[in-house]
Amino acid sequence: MPPFDYTPLPYLGPRAAEIVRKRSEFLSPSISYLYKNPLNIVDGKMQYLFDEDGRRYLDAFGGIATVSCGHCHPDIVEAIINQTKRLQHPTVLYLNHAVADFAEALASKFPGDLKVVFFTNSGTEANELAMMIARVYTGCHDIISVRNAYHGNAAGSMGATAQSNWKFNVIQTGMHHALNPDQYRGIFGSAGEKYAKDVEEIIDFGTSGRVAGFISEAIQGVGGVMELAPGYLPAVYRTIKKAGGLFIADEVQAGFARTGSHFWGFEAHGVVPDIVTSAKGAGNGIPIGAVVTTPEIARVLTQRCYFNTFGGNPVCTAAGHAVLKVIEKENLQENALVVGSYLKDQLKALQDKHDIIGDVRGRGLMLGVELVTDRQQKTPAKTEILHAMETMKDMGVLVGKGGFYGNVFRITPPLCFSKEDADFFLDVMDIALSKI
Amino acid sequence: MFLRRNLWRSGLRSEVQLRELLRRGLSSASPSLPPFDHQPRPYKGMLADEVLEKRKKFLGPSLFYYYQKPLNIVEGKMQYLYDETGKRYLDAFAGIVTVSCGHCHPDVVNAVVEQSQLLQHTTTIYLHHAIVEFAEALASKMPGNLKVVYFVNSGTEANELAMLMARMYTGNLGMIALRNAYHGGSAGTIGLTALHTWKYPIPQGEIHHVMNPDPYRGAFGSDAAHYAKEVEDHINYGTSGNVAGFIAETFQGVGGAVELAPGYLKLVYDIVRKSGGVCIADEVQSGFGRTGSHYWGFETQGVIPDIVTMAKGIGNGLPLGAVVTTPEIASVMSKRIQFNTFGGNPVCSAGGLAVLKVLDKEKRQAHCADVGFQLIDRLRTLQQKHDIIGDVRGRGLMLGVELVSDKDKTPAKAEAAVLFEKLKDLGVLVGKGGLHGNVFRIKPPMCFTKQDADFLVDALDYAISRL
Repeated sequence: MPPFDYTPLPYLGPRAAEIVRKRSEFLSPSISYLYKNPLNIVDGKMQYLFDEDGRRYLDAFGGIATVSCGHCHPDIVEAIINQTKRLQHPTVLYLNHAVADFAEALASKFPGDLKVVFFTNSGTEANELAMMIARVYTGCHDIISVRNAYHGNAAGSMGATAQSNWKFNVIQTGMHHALNPDQYRGIFGSAGEKYAKDVEEIIDFGTSGRVAGFISEAIQGVGGVMELAPGYLPAVYRTIKKAGGLFIADEVQAGFARTGSHFWGFEAHGVVPDIVTSAKGAGNGIPIGAVVTTPEIARVLTQRCYFNTFGGNPVCTAAGHAVLKVIEKENLQENALVVGSYLKDQLKALQDKHDIIGDVRGRGLMLGVELVTDRQQKTPAKTEILHAMETMKDMGVLVGKGGFYGNVFRITPPLCFSKEDADFFLDVMDIALSKI
Repeated sequence: MFLRRNLWRSGLRSEVQLRELLRRGLSSASPSLPPFDHQPRPYKGMLADEVLEKRKKFLGPSLFYYYQKPLNIVEGKMQYLYDETGKRYLDAFAGIVTVSCGHCHPDVVNAVVEQSQLLQHTTTIYLHHAIVEFAEALASKMPGNLKVVYFVNSGTEANELAMLMARMYTGNLGMIALRNAYHGGSAGTIGLTALHTWKYPIPQGEIHHVMNPDPYRGAFGSDAAHYAKEVEDHINYGTSGNVAGFIAETFQGVGGAVELAPGYLKLVYDIVRKSGGVCIADEVQSGFGRTGSHYWGFETQGVIPDIVTMAKGIGNGLPLGAVVTTPEIASVMSKRIQFNTFGGNPVCSAGGLAVLKVLDKEKRQAHCADVGFQLIDRLRTLQQKHDIIGDVRGRGLMLGVELVSDKDKTPAKAEAAVLFEKLKDLGVLVGKGGLHGNVFRIKPPMCFTKQDADFLVDALDYAISRL
């Protein structure tokens, strides 16, 4: 593990076993935790986390691609504390500079006419709002999303989500799921335009011919870091526009410099969406989400009242603004590109060594490593990955898991992740895979 | 002496009016804020005009605000807010019933600051003590078997989840909500919401809105049985006979501080349960002791719901919401994965726990009962004096004052708008509600004092007298 100059305070709170017991009594049975012996994480600093015994771990998951600048980054903590002491919550019924400042700064990060911001408290709320805006704007109900997508857990966003694990048996109307431009398992390989034909067919045969819109992630997160085949999004964009629909880019995971090559995931695909949603990394962990669109589209909400009580509160927007500043000041996008490219190259080298690595993919610091027991059949290595994750945890590396079969390592660390961290990560993964 | 003679000559009818007139006579100047020992920091940031301009440009035309000259609020302390010039206002609306303990309450701020410096976010895939401590403390405030807690980030998310649970648990579709209700801003919760100003023209399936048991404007006054029969009829004639659930605020917030007719929930809960449905209590505004008489709004109706949703006051302003239900209902959620990335994060959990402790330590529920009693009493007296006050209702520090222009209860919309502005000029910030925007919502931070209450009533009196 690379050296790190920080000693966590001694932890005197409840220990893991007691927390597990209380969780099973008081919390949702639908949420589980990672690892056979779940970790009691009590302290965090930049790209490292500390457990109840003060043991340090390299956080290669970032609280699910959420801790963008680093755990308890001093600039962000300072912004939060200063604002918390002054004014936490008046609501936007009154003026306050924080929300206006952050909206302006965020809008400046977007191309085209994307400059009106709606603040929410989560990615789910952001996607719900985006979908509602598209439906009201077009007067149509049908929305197309991509198989293997994840967009949220409320009624509308659950509909857009396209993996059965996350879909409850409740009505989810007006949704159509298109063929996934899956470069690893997809029938057309990386020929993006061929997959896009499916969207055309959905519209021609499954709708009135006019749709409300299309929503997708540039790189599917929960779906296992699946970068959409090149050429797909521009082709779909043309199709959707012909059908009068709006193009919604879900940047909840790929946004905020994570992909390294660009600030937003969609930029790598050469499209300018009509609506962009974000959350997670926007606040380095503070609950915040945002929907950005054009003034023309935004006007549609003036028909009635839309209001979000907590949305745009001074503390969260101050934190969000601090995040943008940190990303710029510390060149985190550049770091994501450099370290991410390095890591991806080295992971590909690891792929040569271990047959179990079926695919290495992603961009910047949003990388995925898919494990398979058979490279030809691409049989998901579901149990092997669990084993490897445990070994990696024991050796001090925390990584995420995803993909429909749960066999993809998701590597989405805080963007301050260094080359030394990458080397350590690779060594640990190498050993873990050797031990399977 | 001269004053006394004048008063004798006016032909007073009651001692109360005498007191009122004396008060007015003695101070023909506007009432003044109770004293408060806090110096706001000098504000050197962006001023109102510039903030407003940027809002219009970057936050869209649909983002509305209060007042013709909107206030630039830059600091808050307990029940007071400060604008860019350092002018102090009595916050009688608490950021929409959200600031429960008081703006920047030191205990809550300390908890947030401490935890923010330690660990903001990892998600529940790892363990952390704050979420379970908060869940346990919250569960201990609930009656019956309500003890499984889901943390989310808002009231909207909480109500979305409650609806999902109801449908999953019962296997039925239809949801029943009250006319005049507000339950959220997402597509699903817009369906439950029943005030047209908040409903966009999108499909909102399988939701039945029943007659509102509104003692002031309802067709049946306070006769709960008649309203309950309506629910029965909706189920018998409008559904398959089986429903997923019923949801209601015991004290409607956005709808204008309407307290449901007494006995209503008992009757309806029974009807809904017989139809296979579950009963959801939306405590987003009425929870945490605000009503004074009870900790939860639904307790005022003597019922125990199957699911309770909360937000707003739960975190004193932190983006936090929760759904509490029984282990039995919770178990259906394990059929699939329902995950909330930010939900239950250490900072909000620590803040939420601090809020519960503050409310207990400072005995806020009893305080709400005490101050609320005086406030309602004075408001009712004011109602005797001013015809424009059609109704004074609510409980504890969850009150509403409805303004009407005649005996037919015609909403006094224009007058309400004028008075709303005048109150602001006098230093009192209230909320506005009701379908016609003619109800003043008085729901301050729960540290609101009797002096604050007197000032509020005096200001209202002063403003109405000068209409």
